[in-house]
Amino acid sequence: MPKRRIPILAKVVGVVIGIYILIRFVIQPPLPFSLVFMYMSLTVVGVLVYVSIYDDVWNEFTLPIEEFFRGRSDRGAVWQGVRLIVLAMIPLFIGWGVYNKVKPSYNPPAEQRVVHPAPPFEVAGLNNPLRQRPEKYQDYIKLGSKIYFQNCFYCHGDRFDGEGHFAHGFNLPPANFMDAGTIAQLQESFVFWRVSTGGPGLPAESTPWNSAMPKWEDMLNTEERWAVVMYLYEQTGWKPRTWQ
Amino acid sequence: MAINPLKIEMAPGRISAGLPILVLSGTVLALSFSITMAEEPAAQAPAAGSPEIEAGKKIYQKWCINCHGEEGDGAGPAADFLRPRPRDFRTGLFKIRSTVNGQLPSDQDLFNVITKGMPGTGMPRWEHALKEPDRRQLVPYIKTFSRRFARTKDAPKPVVIGKQIASGADSIAKGKQLFHDMECFKCHGDEGRADGPSAPELTDDWNYPIRPANLTKPWNFRGGHAPNDLYLRLQSGISGTPMPSFADSLDNDKTWHLINYIMSLWPDPSGDVPSLKVVLRARRVESEIPAKPGDPFWLAQEAFDFPLVGQVIKEPRMFTPTGNQIEVKAVYNDREVAFHLTWDDPTNSRPDSSKGIFEDAVAVQLPVQIPTGTKRPFFLMGDPELAVQLLRWSVGESADGTVTEMNGNGIARLVAQPSTSQETRGVGEFKNGRYRVVLKRPLRTGNTAQDIQLEPGKFIPIAFFAWDGSNGETGAKMAISHWYYFLMEPPLAKTVFIYPVIGVAVAAGLQWWMIRRLRQRS
Repeated sequence: MPKRRIPILAKVVGVVIGIYILIRFVIQPPLPFSLVFMYMSLTVVGVLVYVSIYDDVWNEFTLPIEEFFRGRSDRGAVWQGVRLIVLAMIPLFIGWGVYNKVKPSYNPPAEQRVVHPAPPFEVAGLNNPLRQRPEKYQDYIKLGSKIYFQNCFYCHGDRFDGEGHFAHGFNLPPANFMDAGTIAQLQESFVFWRVSTGGPGLPAESTPWNSAMPKWEDMLNTEERWAVVMYLYEQTGWKPRTWQ
Repeated sequence: MAINPLKIEMAPGRISAGLPILVLSGTVLALSFSITMAEEPAAQAPAAGSPEIEAGKKIYQKWCINCHGEEGDGAGPAADFLRPRPRDFRTGLFKIRSTVNGQLPSDQDLFNVITKGMPGTGMPRWEHALKEPDRRQLVPYIKTFSRRFARTKDAPKPVVIGKQIASGADSIAKGKQLFHDMECFKCHGDEGRADGPSAPELTDDWNYPIRPANLTKPWNFRGGHAPNDLYLRLQSGISGTPMPSFADSLDNDKTWHLINYIMSLWPDPSGDVPSLKVVLRARRVESEIPAKPGDPFWLAQEAFDFPLVGQVIKEPRMFTPTGNQIEVKAVYNDREVAFHLTWDDPTNSRPDSSKGIFEDAVAVQLPVQIPTGTKRPFFLMGDPELAVQLLRWSVGESADGTVTEMNGNGIARLVAQPSTSQETRGVGEFKNGRYRVVLKRPLRTGNTAQDIQLEPGKFIPIAFFAWDGSNGETGAKMAISHWYYFLMEPPLAKTVFIYPVIGVAVAAGLQWWMIRRLRQRS
């Protein structure tokens, strides 16, 4: 009697499932779907190469599959029952797959936009005039905080995180100033330009029609706009980017 | 000033020579029944020096003063733009407490409000923005604004939450009776939509107008909507507001019955805000579409909820709108499309210039041309280049309301269409703090320059606006939504059903053939 060992089919299934669990759940941070798909394809090809190199391995591998489809009268009622259920489910599963392919999807078209468009040339060189008067810095910060809390915080929030109490009403989310990807990446002149001309001042590639950012130059004077920009940097702790 | 039977109310800063007498009589009254007593402003600056207080002060000055004020008076620069207004800490009156009626909040109560924020207000969750030690340090500093804390030696006594009674038809019926007997409906309304007869006149202890909670929107409950939260609000009251404590009239069982009734008013047992969907889908029906919003037909249609916020983009702005959500259902048939709009508004406002009341209204906004690329009209009533069409319903003169088709090239450039092109019909009704309106319009019209020509299968931008005339909302002062998508589901092609059947047949045939071959071979 040959030594009892794990059947080759069980080994193959075990290896594939094991590798799937490893790359899908164990590896952190999670891999993107495309990478998981690629690794799994390699795994499947790998085990198929392994089982098909020698005829005896291949036969051992395919035998249980063959027997399953052909049916064996010497097996018990449970085996027969499971076989019938699986045989019936395979076509239904394929039908379900086809249905998912052909049924209409109600996903809206994807909207892409440029988040930080290039500012107009005359904006790029602007310097914050309020920084020329360091002795009045605290006054300007005070002015900026007042402007912010009477105009901006409904959307951009008390926490400067873009989660003010009106933020959920707009589907271009208000900018999160605490995030390293917004004002921390930008020059003060850029932020001043965004504040001044708002959504309507954006170029077409930045979908100005979706932006709820008001054109603040209609409502706030130049000093107030520079003061609120300065306040944003003061409060968040970020430093504006400079040309150096 | 509205006098609440359970409290003596005093606005800070108005206390003069009468103070000692008031304090004395207050003490006497406190012995006979539970009272909440407003406090005079703290006369001296908070005891500096203690490092704990100083650390809290630093955090407070960085993050809190713009609403709550440097002096803790709730009068920071943002205060006038918020409703409810930020709390004035000088009185020691705090809304969300776990302590018995008339007592100060516990430190944990204050910490919890800072941590979780107050839903439906300008007070955000500070849970992730400030570290826990920082949030804890704020508590002793906030307490320095009111002398009540220093004067009160004993720790506040917590409300004991008794054994919860499971909800059921019997308990809900008892709760409903209590809702009536305790006169909850007088403020909260017959169906809980904050539309009770006293609701418009309510003021808080500082004499500012205040709204009762809309009990059908638990996600906006200031102190949370877990059953225990409701228990605490009923037992300890909401200090500084007209909401009294019912500790004397509701025992444990009755409190739970009332809670079970309130929870039965929620659209969803979780009490969470309805999930936001981006696409409003309209099903195709073959029948006539009922024009009445109360028709049972509409109950069977899928509902889509969209948030509304204040129009804070163009002057004149609206910082404190009434509308915060609109529910929309849509269907279409071979000739026309219909929108069924539902939103809460505590009053049925008709124009009255002597009282500064405007008419309540609602509007559905669509672009005049279905966009082909990404470009579309500005979401707030269009722009000079691309126009929008508004289907606007207002309370008007007739019983069903008035419908007007308008075109917009910007919020200040909104023009009603000529009467020959007014093809939208609408029927609206107001009941128990809720409007329901059905708007119907032909899919295609003769006026292609001003009317959108609707096509099934296209993703069409759509937005919604609402005006509460009793809240000063008219013109640009309104509640708005952003662009969402409207999709009239095209009739399902027969292939959607045929292809899967073919798939099953082919797969079954192949399988059968394979089994046969295998059997032949062996």
